[in-house]
Amino acid sequence: MKKKEIFFYGSLLLLIALLLPAQQEVYLSIKEGMPAIPLAIPPFIVHETSSKTQEAAEILHQTLASDLQYSRIFQELPKSYYSYIRPLNPQQIFFKDWESIQAKILFVGEVSNDVGNEVIFEGKIYDVKAGRGIFGKRYQAERSLLRFAAHKMADELLRMWGEQPFFTSKIVFASNRDGNWELYMMDYDGHNQTRLTFNRVIDYMPAWSSDGRTIAYTSYQGTDAILYLLQVYEGKRNSVTNRGTSFAPAFSPDGRRLAFCSQEEGGNSEIYMSTSEGKGIRRVTFNKATDTAPTWSPTSRQIAFTSDRGGTPQIYIMDAEGSNVTRVSFGGTYHDAPAWAPTGDRIAYVSRVDQIFDLYVLNLRTKQIIKLTEGNARNESPCWSPDGRHLIFSSNLNGTVQLYSIDYDGRNLRRLTSSGENKLPDWSRQ
Amino acid sequence: MLSLLTEDMFDCITKAQGSIKLEGISFKGGHMKKILILSLACILVFGFMLSCAKKVEEAPPPPPPQVKEQPQVEKVEEAAPPKEPVLTEEEIFMRKSLEEINQEAPLQMIHFDFDRFFIRDDAKPVLEKNATWLKKWNSVQILIEGHCDERGTEEYNLALGEKRAKSTYDYLVSLGISSDRIKTISYGKSQPMDPGHDEMAWAKNRRAQFTIIAK
Repeated sequence: MKKKEIFFYGSLLLLIALLLPAQQEVYLSIKEGMPAIPLAIPPFIVHETSSKTQEAAEILHQTLASDLQYSRIFQELPKSYYSYIRPLNPQQIFFKDWESIQAKILFVGEVSNDVGNEVIFEGKIYDVKAGRGIFGKRYQAERSLLRFAAHKMADELLRMWGEQPFFTSKIVFASNRDGNWELYMMDYDGHNQTRLTFNRVIDYMPAWSSDGRTIAYTSYQGTDAILYLLQVYEGKRNSVTNRGTSFAPAFSPDGRRLAFCSQEEGGNSEIYMSTSEGKGIRRVTFNKATDTAPTWSPTSRQIAFTSDRGGTPQIYIMDAEGSNVTRVSFGGTYHDAPAWAPTGDRIAYVSRVDQIFDLYVLNLRTKQIIKLTEGNARNESPCWSPDGRHLIFSSNLNGTVQLYSIDYDGRNLRRLTSSGENKLPDWSRQ
Repeated sequence: MLSLLTEDMFDCITKAQGSIKLEGISFKGGHMKKILILSLACILVFGFMLSCAKKVEEAPPPPPPQVKEQPQVEKVEEAAPPKEPVLTEEEIFMRKSLEEINQEAPLQMIHFDFDRFFIRDDAKPVLEKNATWLKKWNSVQILIEGHCDERGTEEYNLALGEKRAKSTYDYLVSLGISSDRIKTISYGKSQPMDPGHDEMAWAKNRRAQFTIIAK
């Protein structure tokens, strides 16, 4: 008996000892190293023989499956597995079958055609082991909005899992596909690329407001580069400031403030702050060096930015009021374009070594640095997804400057744009 | 001679008719009256013709008749167009549009070292020349555009471009150009002159260039 007890306490101590030094990493490994949940998402059942409805079901299935795969929460089972078991019957699901192919979650989708152009899409989620339904949702959508309906369904799934949904979020960026630099927006997966500005002057460096309805950006009007606010869904535009060359706007996550860069009288870039409507502008940094590229902490209490006050461009953190400035990037001669992750613990940034720009992620807790990109290219302007698991950035990896998506750990690099050149992305928070 | 006479006669007749018309207004109706007016008109016309003829006689005598009279060939020459007054240099300048002046690029751009914004020694004579031009045309207002090569991030390059524009501005002001004639803007790396990706292109793209915005 005693031996057993000693063994028990001993192993407990050993476990604690093992856990202690790695405590800070444990937080991450639980959240990020967690194996993805095996998900079965067999082809959707179509209650109609028309080819149009069949086609709609395929679009819905393909969009939803790629959303869930992208999430890094779920892992889609290989399609070949479905042929090993009896075909799916939504009225009578043989959960043992699905368990046998290692599915933890089963997604059953049914599609029927309403009168006219509308499609009815119903999705149900089953816990395979428990053999019961845990969630269901029904959407009615026009054919042009099928992808949107699938994204909404995927968002519901993430929400149910306690994750930040982002499949209906939007990326705003600058593109010269129609001649000069104008603003465009697109879905997170690169679909629905839509032009937003038609000014025939340079419009760039866009940033979303926290509610995802307003974009702040720099526009070259006459002899000034002015900051503008564009209310995307109202089509309204107004200028924030007529100060010379104002750029790199960033809305605070609480929606109350707007940080941006502008020149003081000496021509030196400093960080300024205003209300989210652009009122009450005041200067935050007072330094002879260049201070640029503000990015907010998720609490809206701090700002990370770039400054060359130490001789080379480096990343610093300060309180939103301008006090408590601390340098956080070391070991290089050119660090810029910080992007504070919505999870709060990490900052992505650009580091230049021998004219090659690569993206790095600094963990503020562990001070650990991960190199995200690897290539003989200029990888620039990182921005985070609302859930902090993905980034979008610009790169001339394949010659022209295009937007790419990559995961927090450097996996799943994918190209999102191809028309003209595309840069300066910003991902909406919802 | 003949043509001269008839022309004059015609002249006289029209003059006479003019006077008849004036007189005709005072008379009203009546056949006799019309005849009277007509005869009066005739008398008047004859009178005038006579006076005209007299004038003709007074003209210098015709040249001696020649054996074979040929019409004299008169060379038709277009009247000289009104001669434009010679414009002063200033007038020529003021006539040009801003686009035309900017196309002529009277102000030369200057270049910078990588990641630097100080005025290089080779740029100083260029700026001095530019200052001389600006002093000559002292109503001209300019915009200094700061540009960078692609080897910096967007944000950093916008700040650097502004510093290049500002140091150019400062140099021109030190040469005596009034500061309220100069505006600055930064384009960062968004408007390269040379789209290439080598040192040649980068050196070209690191520049401050001048646009005339008012004169």
